[in-house]
Amino acid sequence: MTDDDDTELVALIDNELDENRKKALLARLETDERLRERYEALREAGAPISAAFDALLERAPVARLRDAIPPEAAVRQAQGRFAGLALRELAAGIVIGLLAAGAAAWAALSLGLAPLEGKEDWRSAVAEYTDLYTNETFSSQNPDVALQAVELSALNAKVGANLTPDKLVLPGLRFAVAFMLSFEGSPLAAIAYVDPDGAPVMFCINANQAPDAPMRAEQRGDLSLASWSRGGRSYLVIGHVPKEQAVAWAQTLEKRV
Amino acid sequence: MRAGLEPCLARLWRYALVLSRANDAADDLVQATCVRAIERADQFVPGTRLDRWLFAILRSIWLNEIRARKIREGGGFVDADDALSIDGARDIEMNILAGQVLKEIGQLPEAQRETVLLVYAEGYSYAEAAAALSIPIGTVMSRLATARAALTKLK
Repeated sequence: MTDDDDTELVALIDNELDENRKKALLARLETDERLRERYEALREAGAPISAAFDALLERAPVARLRDAIPPEAAVRQAQGRFAGLALRELAAGIVIGLLAAGAAAWAALSLGLAPLEGKEDWRSAVAEYTDLYTNETFSSQNPDVALQAVELSALNAKVGANLTPDKLVLPGLRFAVAFMLSFEGSPLAAIAYVDPDGAPVMFCINANQAPDAPMRAEQRGDLSLASWSRGGRSYLVIGHVPKEQAVAWAQTLEKRV
Repeated sequence: MRAGLEPCLARLWRYALVLSRANDAADDLVQATCVRAIERADQFVPGTRLDRWLFAILRSIWLNEIRARKIREGGGFVDADDALSIDGARDIEMNILAGQVLKEIGQLPEAQRETVLLVYAEGYSYAEAAAALSIPIGTVMSRLATARAALTKLK
């Protein structure tokens, strides 16, 4: 008995063997008792597979999946706008994944932190990939309020927030695009703004179940960060701007979200 | 397109779960598939099977986007042990067997899980599965034989 025998026997059971091979195998089955036993074992093993998969269908969250299908008009409207962004967005997702792993490992190694502490360092991951954005990355994105609302509703569902275009209006900045990332398994919503020169400023919400924490400001290289945590979510405003400016925007958002 | 998607949702989700072995990834995968299908509705050829077209989209998104991201995040496959499982006790004996079979299938490599699903649950012929997976028919045959051989140990 060989693996080839198994392959032929299974093909015979599935009625997928061509006539010549079928004839030859049936002839062997008549005389070879061990082959017959193997045929029986393989046939019995396969019999419940289809029913088992059918049972899995009953677990499908059909109502939830149906509700998540976006309206066709919204998809089409967004389509043209996202055509150029898809690759960049995907690249950013991959980059943050790599950086997340790298940042956590680095923090654990260099600071002797417990692995759990790495979870707090999502700001480093966001900072490193915010550094990769240029003035061109988002400057062509300029959705109207209706489209902003569509993008935000997708984020709201993921991070349990209630973001609306009016809550996110910030002086001196223009809403460019909202998209989803994740950090160590927790959903991470990102809203990209641009200033009049196209320079990106990011507002991120991480549904990381962190304890409440007051506003804090940090400087990491040229980047200013203002962050706080409330209601199981951590918030971060980050950009190549003076620290006071990042804090001012963060305080505006903190009152509204 | 939306009306065509709805009857396929449960089977798309099952395929997504078999590939990802993670409930959240399965949900994301189905949602992304629906969005992509609506975007590309004009590429669907009327008269061909919509379900097979959707399966191909789902598979492409899994291979090119979601699986890659999950592996890089190191967050994939964590609940692999019990992702393929069933609830309820409508028919206890049948469910125990189905549960054992699914658990065993859940431990097979992704390529085998996928081939078993397409042929034994979705009714693909060997030739159709080979075309859908871009592999020779001989590879379909050996994957199915290996999977069945693994299931013979269930007694």
